Amino acid sequence: MKTKRWTYVLGGVLLLVFAGFSLASFRSALTPYVDYGKAREGGRAVQVAGALVAGSSSYDDATGLLHFTLHDEETGQTLPVRYEGLKPANFEEAISIVAIGTYDEASGELAANKLLVKCPSKYQGAEVKEYS
Amino acid sequence: MDYISQLYLPGAVPIWAAVVFSLAAVWGYSLVLRGDESARVFARRAYTFFALAIALAAMVLIVELVRRDFRIEYVFQYSGTELPVHYQFAAFWAGQKGSFLIWLLWGSLIGLGVMRTAGKAEAPVMAIYTLTVMGLLFILVRENPFVMLGQTPAEGQGLNPLLQDDWMVIHPPIMFTGYALSAVPFAFAMAALWRRDYKNWAARAFPWTLAGFLVLGTAILMGGYWAYKTLGWGGYWGWDPVENASLIPWLFGVVLLHGLYLERTKGRYRRVNYLLATAGYMAVLYGTFLTRSGVLADFSVHSFVDLGISGWLIALMAVFLAIPLYLLVTRWREIPVVRNEDPMFSRGAFLVLSTMTVAVAALVITAGTSAPLLTGFMENPGQVGPDFYNRVNLPIAILVALLLSIVPFLTWRGTPLRELLRKLVLPAVAAAAVTGVAVYLAVRDPFHVAFVFLAVLALVTNLQKAFQRAQAQGIGAAGGWLSHVGVGIILIGFLASSAYDQSTKVTLAQGQPKQVGDMTLTFTRFIPRQGREKERMEVRVEKDGKEFFAYPKLFVNDRTRQVMANPDIKTSALRDLYISPIEFDPGSEAGAPQTVQLAQGESLEVGGRTVTFAGFDLRSHDADGPMRALERGEQISVGAAVDITADGQTQRVMPVYAFTSQGAVTAQPISLPGGGGIAVTGINANDGKVQLDLYGLTGGDVEPARLSLDVTKKPLIQLVWYGLYVILAGGLLSLWKRLQQARRHDEVAAASGEV
Repeated sequence: MKTKRWTYVLGGVLLLVFAGFSLASFRSALTPYVDYGKAREGGRAVQVAGALVAGSSSYDDATGLLHFTLHDEETGQTLPVRYEGLKPANFEEAISIVAIGTYDEASGELAANKLLVKCPSKYQGAEVKEYS
Repeated sequence: MDYISQLYLPGAVPIWAAVVFSLAAVWGYSLVLRGDESARVFARRAYTFFALAIALAAMVLIVELVRRDFRIEYVFQYSGTELPVHYQFAAFWAGQKGSFLIWLLWGSLIGLGVMRTAGKAEAPVMAIYTLTVMGLLFILVRENPFVMLGQTPAEGQGLNPLLQDDWMVIHPPIMFTGYALSAVPFAFAMAALWRRDYKNWAARAFPWTLAGFLVLGTAILMGGYWAYKTLGWGGYWGWDPVENASLIPWLFGVVLLHGLYLERTKGRYRRVNYLLATAGYMAVLYGTFLTRSGVLADFSVHSFVDLGISGWLIALMAVFLAIPLYLLVTRWREIPVVRNEDPMFSRGAFLVLSTMTVAVAALVITAGTSAPLLTGFMENPGQVGPDFYNRVNLPIAILVALLLSIVPFLTWRGTPLRELLRKLVLPAVAAAAVTGVAVYLAVRDPFHVAFVFLAVLALVTNLQKAFQRAQAQGIGAAGGWLSHVGVGIILIGFLASSAYDQSTKVTLAQGQPKQVGDMTLTFTRFIPRQGREKERMEVRVEKDGKEFFAYPKLFVNDRTRQVMANPDIKTSALRDLYISPIEFDPGSEAGAPQTVQLAQGESLEVGGRTVTFAGFDLRSHDADGPMRALERGEQISVGAAVDITADGQTQRVMPVYAFTSQGAVTAQPISLPGGGGIAVTGINANDGKVQLDLYGLTGGDVEPARLSLDVTKKPLIQLVWYGLYVILAGGLLSLWKRLQQARRHDEVAAASGEV
């Protein structure tokens, strides 16, 4: 019986350690949804949403980066974004783009590592795809 | 009446009829529960009619989709006159309403099977089960798929081109079958609690749980394939809420399977199994709530917009949480408990440990998926990315691999540590050898080294056990162990393909080779659309003196103008080469060709090359000459022999000019040695001159076509698919064996007259 109790304690401790580890991972991986002003404060990964400013997107062959600008209709602000990765299939037609990344003060851009693209409302209810 | 006049009655009436029949079935079964045995036949009939009514409603929707009856809003939204017939099926489940209907259809048909196999527990099982499908039915009553539009549009909006894929035809219905199956163990568990018959449900529910595990696993496999091979998401799994919504119930299904096994063989785990059956079904409802209610709209993904059913989904969750809660609280002390007296190194103890580990994984993934809700109280709610899931699941995977490696050597009574270690020596040597190779190649991170060692160890020990069992008791007895082998395989695949992939972005100018790692890539040409085959890029890949061609696709959808990209994947034994197009720039020559006129023998210097018109070529024509052919209305084609001289070397090309007497002209450009292109755009019969369009010959502001690619090497990614195949094959073996046993059991029971 002694050993049994001992294993339960060990299991409990392991679970607690894992819970703490999960919570820490959760906090560090969390990307809060913020407005552009808050995004510009930098320091951590955030996510912002907005409409693509028409004609603002360009792909840079040399660096392999996609540059574009998002426009927040509520605040009227804009935010330049650069993205490293595959360009989403319906990027130009998106009604809304969510970019997840960290603000890079040097270039004044949000360095996104993930984009979520929402299809036009014509396909409302259908699909929105995720790219990471 | 106004509301009714807006409905397409051949579809709406069966749905209403189904409501009546389902209520009648629940009422009938509740009479049986109160001891009125004569109501059983009535209840069965009511349920059968309910299932028929749903099947009829589904049939009407399919017929209307195929007929392209755009009066019906749902048909208008997801179908179109140009949509091929097999995509009309995809249109069935492309929208919210249709996907609930297909779910309900499978649910109601599965109920017919449950009715037959529930045995003595039929009445309470079917009463609960019918309640679960009624939850879906009421969603359809509220969100009727047969709502008609005020007027009949001539054309539908068509199916989202991203969904026009063969996988879309097959993947969702299988997924919804898996969802529907998750309600069966739940119904059995609740019925067992209700009847206070705690002993028999595990055996009855086991094959259904196994079936759900297989079907949902198949759906997840297909979803991964779809994402990887066609959609070009770069991977098979993105930890996206919709993906997680199918993974979480699957993991709970895995845990429940082992729990039921423990209950059947040792009478243990009873209380936990009720919780697990509830958790599996709740996971399906909760996942549906997360992805369908619009709560994740700002954070997702495949998001469905809010149809106003979130309130109903919350109510459903509350009801199906309240039922098990009430039953468990009132019966908790009665549930017979077999005390846990297993020694540490026994099969029982390890079963508990490993299933709990998997349950923890399911809970952690649930927490991650719920991040936007969990952080909803904060100033800026957020979500967690793949980082979270990968990091948290790494120790879980290592622990699972450790437990799985040892479990084949454990007996129920417990295995002495010394004997265990002795048996582990040989497999450990084999695993160490493989790990050594992995370390030599790339793996350095200590966690990854442990991961590889334990995954290989689990593979080896379980394979050994599977062989022993198959030899001793027939192949059916090896199913579970075989699935564990699959877990070992898939874990190696996960690690190799996600942590050790190498991705390079490269931009290739047409015709100019570029070194990428140990390969030389050349963008050779753009292949225009041919029939159903979309525009493709041809990329020559040279490696170690061997060459092959890859054909990634990048095309604009005709109707929506969306740019679509499909990767091309070259699979070899040890890795996949994943070539995904990012951007295509046709170059300036396509837009602005240089047009020149040359007489026979005349030359022109363009961008360092000499272009000489050598003369017309009419040899391709019949003996009676081109004029006769022209008179007959046939197409005439005239070749222009053009010599291209560069660096003292001359090569002849023969662009062709084709025309008919009606004036239809085709001038297909052909490519030139050394890059660029040429087309004949006119011939002047009077002065014997030819008009040529030259593409990309001049330097300076004329740019060649450029293709930007993402080239990723994904080592051992095949193991992910193979591992899942083996896991599912093991499950299939077990199901086959179970069904055989059940048949024998029923025969014995029938012979002794106690069905």
